[in-house]
Amino acid sequence: MTLKKILLISMLAMIVLAACATPTAEAPKPTVAPPTAPVAAPTTSAPTAVAATPAPAQKTKITFWYALSGAQGKVVEDMTAKFNQTSKTAQVEVVFQGSYADIAQKLTAAITAKTVPDVAQMGGAPTLGESGAIVPVADLVSDADKKDIFDGFWDYNKFNGKVVSMPFNNSTPMLYYNKDLFTAAGLDPNKPPTTWDELVTAAKALTKDTNGDGKPDQWGFNTHTDTHWYLSAMIMQNGGKILSDDGKKVIYNSPEGIEALQFWGDLVTKNKVMPPNQHAQAGADFTAGKLGMLMRSSTFLATVEKDAKFKVGVAILPGKKIKSVPIGGASLLVFKTTAERQKAAWEFVQWMTNAENSLSLFIQTNYVPIRKSVAGLPAVKDFIAKSPNSEVLIKQLEFASAIPIFFELGNSDEQLRKAVEKVELGSGTAKDALDVAASVINKALGGP
Amino acid sequence: MIMPFVWMISTSFKSQSEVFAYPPQWIPTEFHWQNYVQAWNAAPFPRYFFNSVVVALAVTLGDLFTSALAAYAFARMKFPGRDALFLIYLSSLMIPHQMTILPSFLLLKNLGDLWAPLGLDTYFALIAPFLASAFGVFLLRQSFMQIPNELEDAAILDGCGRARFLWEIVIPLSRPALATLALFTFMGNWNSYLWPLIVTNSDTLRTVQIGLRYFIGQEGASQWGLLMAAAVFVSLPVVLIYLMVQRQFVQGIASTGIKQ
Repeated sequence: MTLKKILLISMLAMIVLAACATPTAEAPKPTVAPPTAPVAAPTTSAPTAVAATPAPAQKTKITFWYALSGAQGKVVEDMTAKFNQTSKTAQVEVVFQGSYADIAQKLTAAITAKTVPDVAQMGGAPTLGESGAIVPVADLVSDADKKDIFDGFWDYNKFNGKVVSMPFNNSTPMLYYNKDLFTAAGLDPNKPPTTWDELVTAAKALTKDTNGDGKPDQWGFNTHTDTHWYLSAMIMQNGGKILSDDGKKVIYNSPEGIEALQFWGDLVTKNKVMPPNQHAQAGADFTAGKLGMLMRSSTFLATVEKDAKFKVGVAILPGKKIKSVPIGGASLLVFKTTAERQKAAWEFVQWMTNAENSLSLFIQTNYVPIRKSVAGLPAVKDFIAKSPNSEVLIKQLEFASAIPIFFELGNSDEQLRKAVEKVELGSGTAKDALDVAASVINKALGGP
Repeated sequence: MIMPFVWMISTSFKSQSEVFAYPPQWIPTEFHWQNYVQAWNAAPFPRYFFNSVVVALAVTLGDLFTSALAAYAFARMKFPGRDALFLIYLSSLMIPHQMTILPSFLLLKNLGDLWAPLGLDTYFALIAPFLASAFGVFLLRQSFMQIPNELEDAAILDGCGRARFLWEIVIPLSRPALATLALFTFMGNWNSYLWPLIVTNSDTLRTVQIGLRYFIGQEGASQWGLLMAAAVFVSLPVVLIYLMVQRQFVQGIASTGIKQ
């Protein structure tokens, strides 16, 4: 009985302590090192922020929902805090809403219940294009901005040919490679492969059986678990397309697509430079120095440079007929509310995506800069001097392309992952795998 | 069975690069105690804990109350349509949770338009939808049916009314089932992530599970050491509750429930 009493008392103590801690907790917003906020300024406090703080006269209040966590989430919150200090007309309340999947659910509920925010950050944003709840960015953006942002990013935010969302935090897949392993294998660490054939040659040199048990312990090449992204990239590099021009069916089972998937399968079965179906382990293997080359998102750069005990190199994805680097990431949406709030919302979106902030986001998170003008900013040169690998992220943007966003994209990506799994495990030919995938998706899209 | 917990505690002391070291290190080379401090400060956990405890306790007590009353009616009272009603009630268990999210959300929004404390972004939104559960009724009905009728007859002979019979005789005899229900309800509500995320926007109302999400990076940059440290202190209350009801819980599984 006494144990039970002790436990009961400790539970109550926890509640009391937590309740006491609350009024004194000064920063209800999660921040680690609050960067700027001077005490008097009404910053991004939670809505329980007391009404007594003298709000600057008539700033339009708007809400911003975002879905980035960890260090990236903090950067977004810091940027919003800075906007609140510099803007004379808008005050943004920023709310964390989980992952891209969570915020998508929440927005769907909010649209139905008419409790939408003013601005939201979301992956796959164009799918809300038909909802009638958003203001298409094409109607708001200036001509100067249209020209300054790379075309690939505009394509990424189109729905039925019209730009509906604003590019914000985007990433691209890159080829990471272990410079030390390159040197040890007799390859030039400053000349990473630039074509598919060079990739195979390098990978073969990097696949080694170091303990003589007949199985490779060091692999030449692997990719992260989002294999659909890299396969889509390869299909496009081979001149193929994912979606037909009229947007009504997927066409990756074209000869170019099949060739790309065949190349992928050969890496496992014929050339034996990639372990079959072990993508979840790839990042850890690379960081531990047991993988020569890894295809993964550009956002992995900061993590791997910090954790790896070897020299990390990064390169643009190797090309075949053309170089093509697909874009991923999320965008900002402006919702239909009142004219005044929409104006404030657009002011906020423009600010978050201007050249300075695009560069700042890039420096802090390695999300790629979306504007051509960023490359010319002086701060860029300093940053590249400190972190030379990030220059590659900028250089590749001219090859950036967009895989069109359509309603069945999520399912389509899963079908592509299944197709990759099939050829890696040798349980199907590339043609059959892609034919199956395409027929499933095309049926869902309502076609033959 | 304890391995995941051991791994969780072990990882909570590691630095990021050691988390994925191969072969796996069970004992970290350096103990990063600051993971706990950093994790605690990364999100307003004191408030989140307060909310989680309040909500989970309220839901547990509410659920016990409503389920006991309903189970008593279904188990020991006879009225027309009793069995059909019970079957209908039970069939509600077949509705997937995802299907009820949107209707519940709309209902709360409309209630909030009538009277704010009943709307979205309130404790009501977090607690009310879970105050009754078909599972609880089912579990307790099974247990209440085990009470022999002779007991009830004797009680009535001695002048005991229904409410008193329920409160003073049936419930004490059903401690294992009640403890089980309390544990499951508390745990289920403590672990609930999607609903609190959807109905709240204010940090002052959110729960610890949303706090945990801060550590899971979007495109692979999760901070595993911090996440594990946070997971350790988030799972502590559930472990405490389990220890409290452990004796009854084990009894509930082992015995038939008859105390004669």
